[in-house]
Amino acid sequence: MNKSLAHKERIAGILFILPFCVSLFVFFVYALGRTFLFSLQSYDLFSAPVWNGLGNYLALVGDPLFILALKHSLAFSIVVTTLQTGLALLLAMAANKQVKGKGVFRTIYYFPSILSSAAMTLIFMWLFQRKGVLNQGLSWLSAHGGLLAVALGIFLAVQTLQFVLGRRRYDWVRWGDPFHLIVSLGVTAIATLVLAGLGVGVRDLAEPVTVTWLNTRETFGPLPRTIWAIVAMNTFTTVPTLMLLYLAGLQSIPDSLYEAARLEGASAWQQIRYITWPRLMPVSFTVVTLGIIGTLQMFDQVALLGDAAPLESKITLAYFTYHNAFPPGGTPRIGMASAGALVLALLTLVMVLIQRSVGVSETTND
Amino acid sequence: MTIKTTFMTAAIALAATPTLANDVVRISGWGGDNIVVVNSLINEVLDDDLKAAGITVEYEPVEGDFAQILTNALSAGTAPDAFYVDSFWAYPIFESGKIDPVPADNQDVADALLPALNQAFTYEGQLMGIAKDFNTLAVQYDMDIFDDAGVDYPDMDDDWHDFRTKLQQVQAELDDVYGICVVPDYARFAAFALATGWQPINDQGHTVLDDRFREAFEFYVTLPDENAGVLATDLGQGWTGGCFGNGDTAVAMEGAWMIGFLRDQAPNKYYSTVGIPKHPETGDRGNLVFTVAWGVAADSDVKDSAHKVVELLTSEKAQQWVLESGLALPSREALADNDFFNGDSTAAITSRVVFEGASDGQVEPFQFGEYGGEWKAIVDEALSAALLKERSIDEAIAHAQEQFDRLTGR
Repeated sequence: MNKSLAHKERIAGILFILPFCVSLFVFFVYALGRTFLFSLQSYDLFSAPVWNGLGNYLALVGDPLFILALKHSLAFSIVVTTLQTGLALLLAMAANKQVKGKGVFRTIYYFPSILSSAAMTLIFMWLFQRKGVLNQGLSWLSAHGGLLAVALGIFLAVQTLQFVLGRRRYDWVRWGDPFHLIVSLGVTAIATLVLAGLGVGVRDLAEPVTVTWLNTRETFGPLPRTIWAIVAMNTFTTVPTLMLLYLAGLQSIPDSLYEAARLEGASAWQQIRYITWPRLMPVSFTVVTLGIIGTLQMFDQVALLGDAAPLESKITLAYFTYHNAFPPGGTPRIGMASAGALVLALLTLVMVLIQRSVGVSETTND
Repeated sequence: MTIKTTFMTAAIALAATPTLANDVVRISGWGGDNIVVVNSLINEVLDDDLKAAGITVEYEPVEGDFAQILTNALSAGTAPDAFYVDSFWAYPIFESGKIDPVPADNQDVADALLPALNQAFTYEGQLMGIAKDFNTLAVQYDMDIFDDAGVDYPDMDDDWHDFRTKLQQVQAELDDVYGICVVPDYARFAAFALATGWQPINDQGHTVLDDRFREAFEFYVTLPDENAGVLATDLGQGWTGGCFGNGDTAVAMEGAWMIGFLRDQAPNKYYSTVGIPKHPETGDRGNLVFTVAWGVAADSDVKDSAHKVVELLTSEKAQQWVLESGLALPSREALADNDFFNGDSTAAITSRVVFEGASDGQVEPFQFGEYGGEWKAIVDEALSAALLKERSIDEAIAHAQEQFDRLTGR
């Protein structure tokens, strides 16, 4: 290659990466630098910034709202990332099975992801009302719990009885035989209807269940009940996209590996443990990393709750930052907001590094 | 006449003619229905006046969080020349120094406004904006529900106990109808708290939740337990008007915005409006004034023209048109005598009661100075905790007092 051609190629390469470099510099390097500078100043968007040194960071440590937001963000991130990763893998494995109507199942699984976050939040707010669908469902379960237990008992008894009787004549009969299942379900349905008519297992509730899911300060474990509602909402909407990643990963594993394992007598669990999981490591790394970043920076679902929940029960680090930048009816505290934003960025980086060093890595474990 | 004389006469005549500004003034406010209102004002009602002043007005409606967008625009130097300023978030905007105070030329306009409205837009002794309209709280009651229950309608003489008794009677008589929807919101609770004589922020700048506050707090949060009301969230609602519009409650406690809401959502509802019930001992009503002013940007290149536009937009002519269109309540005191208020339509009665609410009893603007929404959030949290039985009344108040001590000092 002559010098002139090499020079031209170098220029072409620089031109190719120039737009990205410019946007990276303006929207990341400059913005990060400016944010860092703001975090060392007192600034209200109007008056000239006043140097404050580490004052904003010290104020963060002494602010109970920040500590609460930090605690919520960490717990939310761990809970949701774990839930969504596990559920996405399970769904992907189910969607990867060679069954009829596979395409329909995949479409249904993916459906929650195509809805906008705002629409989903509004639907969930409606579900979580004190007299909403969720509490109505719990009321029904509470009233009919006894009947459901009886129905389950009948089903198990009939199914087991059929299995025992079937085994006396045929060795190949399994407990989950489809024909037996149909008979058991039919018998259970009839028996349950009769029992319900007689009032067995049904109790009148003096008061319907009216759990306050959103507008409450009650906590359950490490999180307020309000954030548990957001956990459900967030998991529901993010699992389908992550499932697609896992599905792509599953389809890239050669069938020959499973065939060889089966020939060697490996059980289904051993196949998952020694083939599927190690082969999915790079995908899991992506899924967990995206999960940690997305959950730590979760903002929209909290913001959309609006007045439906008290600040202390819904605040996360991202919302803390916004709340300081634009306090309702108050003076902007850009210094505090910037300090909060940088802590969030640092926390995200640390969490990803921790999961990389002690959790899943981006390379395949063969 | 010689040519020289003709030129001199023409020159004198030109000098005597008021100069036209030929300015374009950008004004900004909410979007939605407000776009039609402001454009009608500019293009129909005030068209001649604006032409005479040589001013062209361009309305830039904002959909979304107006306060946030305005804050950014003022900070970036891209704000419109004149814009809405809500009393709730007025303080930080005034404090920023980005608002030009009302000039002496417009003082006569300011003097014609209701005093409570000017109070909301006064910062360090200077009037910073001219209120364009306002609202207060009143009690809307469903006459059919009261008739069905055989209970007397609420009236202007009702005190808290009369009010609660009537709601209890309605609730006892009718299935699936409650007295009132209760919301954990200072913007409604204040009507009771202020009636006791309690001051949200006292002369020393502190908030003290004294026995007067406790009395109102207990009355308000026990309305559901006393079978006079229900939590709005139990009916899937977020405000008293929503429950009322659906026919779930006998009364609502809202402002004149209910006129338009009920016209759209419950056009057949047979209702009327009375004032907020009085405190049994002081005999006073409490109320909040929700108001929006026109402010002028201090950095505007056409500041004088912007002030002129604000003067025209808040002139008697403009406000009379707004009032008679049933769109908003005028901020001018003199319009209290307008014929519209003397009508017997539901809209006229509601407007009259709401208008009178601004100067009847203990009235405070809906604003919390430098503390903004953080102040309100503390009371809202206490109300919510007590209504949901997560804290006792004493615990809720004590917790709120601790938070106020941190926020406002003591």
